Amino acid sequence: MIVPLGTVLALSAILFGVGVFGFLARRNLILMLISVEIMLNAVNLSLAGFSCHLNDPRGQILALFVIAVAAAEVGVGLGLVIALNRNNPGASVADLTDLKW
Amino acid sequence: MIFFTAQIAFYYLALGSVTSAILAVTRKNPVHSMLWVLALFLHIAGLFLLLRAEFLAAVQVIVYAGAILIFYLFVLMLLDLSGEGAQSKYGRHWPFAILGSLGFGALAWLSLIETFDPVENSSPQVVVENRLSSLEQGSSLGSLSETGLALFGPFALPFEITSLILLAAIVSAVILAKRRTE
Repeated sequence: MIVPLGTVLALSAILFGVGVFGFLARRNLILMLISVEIMLNAVNLSLAGFSCHLNDPRGQILALFVIAVAAAEVGVGLGLVIALNRNNPGASVADLTDLKW
Repeated sequence: MIFFTAQIAFYYLALGSVTSAILAVTRKNPVHSMLWVLALFLHIAGLFLLLRAEFLAAVQVIVYAGAILIFYLFVLMLLDLSGEGAQSKYGRHWPFAILGSLGFGALAWLSLIETFDPVENSSPQVVVENRLSSLEQGSSLGSLSETGLALFGPFALPFEITSLILLAAIVSAVILAKRRTE
């Protein structure tokens, strides 16, 4: 392995932190979903790092499953965004207050 | 020499991915954010190559940079975001978001000082067996043949369940986005 595992894990944690910040702070629904993708990529990176470190292909298989589930999540999530957009235009989460009491 | 070059490539890709991720969550224009996320996905594909995950890198480029990002761009252009520029891009609770991401920064620091190293700690025999089993199959980690053998061998059931999940996602996306005509 060309760099120590700690470096890969640190990079993965930083990317995950950026994704958490984007998910919590942005108001645009689509950018929140994109932040989830950044977090999933960070997790894939640490899985590939462990796989390389332990010389075991199972980490990469798990990352493949994560990519498949991410694709499913994007399909459902963007379908929901389109359905929401029909009733109130725009993509800001601040406008979605129908369930608030 | 090749080891040194690979290290330089790793640190370039790490810096590039962190920079493009930060730019992606801070740009005001959503299309600019998408393009920075595209840069992030390509940098992460390069990191996968350096971590000996060749098939994963190809899947990253084809599925993430190819399919998922184009899907996001399509939906972004279907929506009318003309009022987006008038509002502030962050919610009022953004300090909590900074706190949450600093928590993961602390995690990064912890993982740097306490490098997890189970291979060195486990008994030497396990390590030798690991190396041997990968040598016996005559293929390297992350190659197409090794990944395919694992997917259709020990991981056959999860692989088939994944296809069910994708089918459910396709059906639900069609039903959710369909225009009601009654």
